[in-house]
Amino acid sequence: MRRLWPLLLPLPLLLPVLVESPYYVHGLACRIMIYTLLVASLDLVVGYIGDVSIGHAGFFAIGAYTVAMLTATPEVNPDSSVAFFPQLPFLVALAAGVLLAALAGFVLAFPALRSSGPYLAVITIAYGLIVYTFINEQERFTNGTKGVTLLPLRAFGVDLSGNHFVWVVYPFLALVLYGLHNLGRSFWGRAFEAIKHSSVAASCCGISRPYYKIWAFVISAAVAGLAGGLFAQLDAYIAPNTFSYNLSVEFLIALIFGGVRSILGNLVGVSVFVVLPDVFSAFADYRLMVYGALLLVVLFFLPAGIAGLVRRALAPFTRKDLEAERAALEDASRGLAVLPEPPPPGAAAAPSLALDGVTMRFGGLTAVNGLSFEVAPGKVRGLIGPNGSGKSTTVNLLTGLYVPTSGGISFRGRALGRLPPHERARAGMARTFQNLQLFGDLTALENVLVGLHASFHCKLWQVALRTPAARREERALRARAYALLRFVGLERSAFELARNLPYGQARLLEIARALALAPRLLLLDEPAAGLTGGEIEAMSALVGRIKAAGIAVLLIEHHMDMVMAVSDEVTVLDFGKKIAEGAPRAVQDDPAVQEAYLGKHASAIGRFEPPTDEAGTVRA
Amino acid sequence: MQTLQLLWSGVAQGMIYALVAFGYNITFSTSRTLNFSLGNILMVGGVVGYVLYMTQGHPFLYPVAGVIAVGAVTGLVLHKVAVEPSLRTRSQHAWILATLAFGIILKNAAEVFWSTDDFKMRSPLGDAPLRLLGHRAADGSVQGGLGIYPQEILIIAVSLAIVAGVEFLKRRTLLGKAVVAVSEDKETASLMGVDQKKVILGSFALSAAIAAVGGLLVAPITLVSATMGTVLGVKAYSASIIGGLESGLGAVVGGLVIGLSEALTARFVSTGYKDIPGFAFLILLLLFKPSGLFGKAAIRKV
Repeated sequence: MRRLWPLLLPLPLLLPVLVESPYYVHGLACRIMIYTLLVASLDLVVGYIGDVSIGHAGFFAIGAYTVAMLTATPEVNPDSSVAFFPQLPFLVALAAGVLLAALAGFVLAFPALRSSGPYLAVITIAYGLIVYTFINEQERFTNGTKGVTLLPLRAFGVDLSGNHFVWVVYPFLALVLYGLHNLGRSFWGRAFEAIKHSSVAASCCGISRPYYKIWAFVISAAVAGLAGGLFAQLDAYIAPNTFSYNLSVEFLIALIFGGVRSILGNLVGVSVFVVLPDVFSAFADYRLMVYGALLLVVLFFLPAGIAGLVRRALAPFTRKDLEAERAALEDASRGLAVLPEPPPPGAAAAPSLALDGVTMRFGGLTAVNGLSFEVAPGKVRGLIGPNGSGKSTTVNLLTGLYVPTSGGISFRGRALGRLPPHERARAGMARTFQNLQLFGDLTALENVLVGLHASFHCKLWQVALRTPAARREERALRARAYALLRFVGLERSAFELARNLPYGQARLLEIARALALAPRLLLLDEPAAGLTGGEIEAMSALVGRIKAAGIAVLLIEHHMDMVMAVSDEVTVLDFGKKIAEGAPRAVQDDPAVQEAYLGKHASAIGRFEPPTDEAGTVRA
Repeated sequence: MQTLQLLWSGVAQGMIYALVAFGYNITFSTSRTLNFSLGNILMVGGVVGYVLYMTQGHPFLYPVAGVIAVGAVTGLVLHKVAVEPSLRTRSQHAWILATLAFGIILKNAAEVFWSTDDFKMRSPLGDAPLRLLGHRAADGSVQGGLGIYPQEILIIAVSLAIVAGVEFLKRRTLLGKAVVAVSEDKETASLMGVDQKKVILGSFALSAAIAAVGGLLVAPITLVSATMGTVLGVKAYSASIIGGLESGLGAVVGGLVIGLSEALTARFVSTGYKDIPGFAFLILLLLFKPSGLFGKAAIRKV
């Protein structure tokens, strides 16, 4: 199959030669190709980033009208109210349309950064309707409701209208789908998936949510603009009513119906929408009812759409030899150093992390009060305290999810201030989560690859075209990810989806992902929670190995045995204040600590705990 | 005088948006989902009202009862076939698509089984405007001044009454407190003996019935057609987002913002552009206040 691709790929270019009927080639094939581009663009935002857009008709319209208005001539548009026809060549106009649409995507990305779900959906609707109003009303620029006629396309004396238009559309389609497909399967696609799944975990892996979200909107809008530009030339005539709200809704339905994140899904969704109503023209009136019902069925019974169904049916034939792949990774990763070299003995090291009088208030509640401590390289500091004593808030302060009300945090001699979480991660501060925050739909190996995100340096175009450099980088880092899995003892589960991993393995996977950042400081937020006795021992040994590599570790844990066994020093919090600090043994015997845990008269009833959600964030 | 006239009709139109926006709020506060087919349920209300009142010629009480009943039932069906299954899937936004799809089915069904044309509906209060502040002409009729359609008064009065009534029930009755409890914390509410399923189901019925009544109210000042709900639903949705999704006052303010900006733009710029300021305001507002004018700002959850 793989070998046949180069032969199959150019086949659609033969369509105009083989088939004479303009109905099938121009009317159906070209239309499907253009709409597939539009659906693929929508897929980037909906499928990869997980935002619902009901305004893609807007980008489509910008592309279409830019091409139409820049190429049309007054001769083919008599009685038009348009002031000026620049009469530019098609490709120039198309480039302009793509750029303008991309610009619109860039602008729309900013409200999208702050909103999601129903709030973002309404923004996209509003945007789509604004564009629609303008193309209807700006007669001097768009000729209003009368529409615009374009010249039939010609190049080098060859007629490119009618069936021949395949020669224009298909190369764009093939190139763009190839690029999007590659992007989706690269570190870009993994970054999108990470952001979609948990933007906090993504940022703690060094991924900048704004950066990738803005790019997703820009690329998506550019592709939709390209589709629009080609659409304008398809019938050499466009009018505003094509670009209404309904178009956005119908293409959203086509996307979900076919299945997101899949070229096949995009093609199927569009084909069913374009072909079926034409084939069964009697059915055209009932079309939307049937589509609505089909969509409901797909939503509830086929979450991966028709493409998912096809994939499942083909699975026995397309199954990859995972054992062979694992053996290859085993080979490639042999001898790879996972952790940094331990520092030479006796080298006086400055503290990796230093807190100085850090205070965090939520309204009237002081969650952390004047906290100071340091963690040195190659040392483990245990941070303990009863529930609600401020441990999770401390972790959120360190990783930059909260900004302290007062006090300062410095990391490797640098004051962190308001540095965002992803920058802290890139600077070498890694964490795990008390409630697991793995990317469930990615495999164990891919989860570690998300942790390695900052090690990918290839440019967008290299990734999209899968240049040799991009392949090399992916291969090398896959081997590194595999080595990290082996380090925590998970290499057997490399190709397992994270959400299928048993609890103990999931905890280890989070540590492997954190270590992928090549951290100088590792924050372990209750790594032993929910583990069995044997697993806790293994976890303690793992922490020992990490510490031996000169990494500073801050361990937040309730299992006293583990804390006592692996910590060099322990800090005890109660009501957000440090009540004791020192060697594990000394802290254990401290009367203040015993009182905090057991109460003065051994009554611990009535302790106040702020309402927290799973990750320990205080809810409003 | 003309400006006053304009503000009046903007307020009347805005109150329709407010009413439907309020319908969006109701399901959001109990189930964290919005019913994106609410515009089309409004259309169903308009069509059912038209058929009972104009086609079959029943007295106006019939369409009122019929529309409320049909609306409530549609809401229940919607919840059963679109919302409940969506919440069982792993996809976060399945309900957006499911309710959109349900709306499309309603609209297409109305086109297929009823009509694709526009119909004019008579107002039960008569279609002659009341003239205020005008001057009496020689023949005894009032000329100029402010023209107020009785239907507009009805829209404003009924909408305000519904919003105020529901808000009152929510705050002052045990049932209302149960609803608030479900919206704040489903699990605790069920532990306290509140049947959250019934509360949510009830909210869908109530919200859809309100939208359907909106259709009956708006029918005489616009036209009745299978497509009457699409844009109206979108604008009401914008209104509820502008106001903040959980605030009754927000729904009214949001509705008025959209209704008045439409009327003023239509008058001073052009009818073609009447939707632009409202939508532009919405986008800008969300850029700076992501939870709307009266929405509670949520601390970002981890």
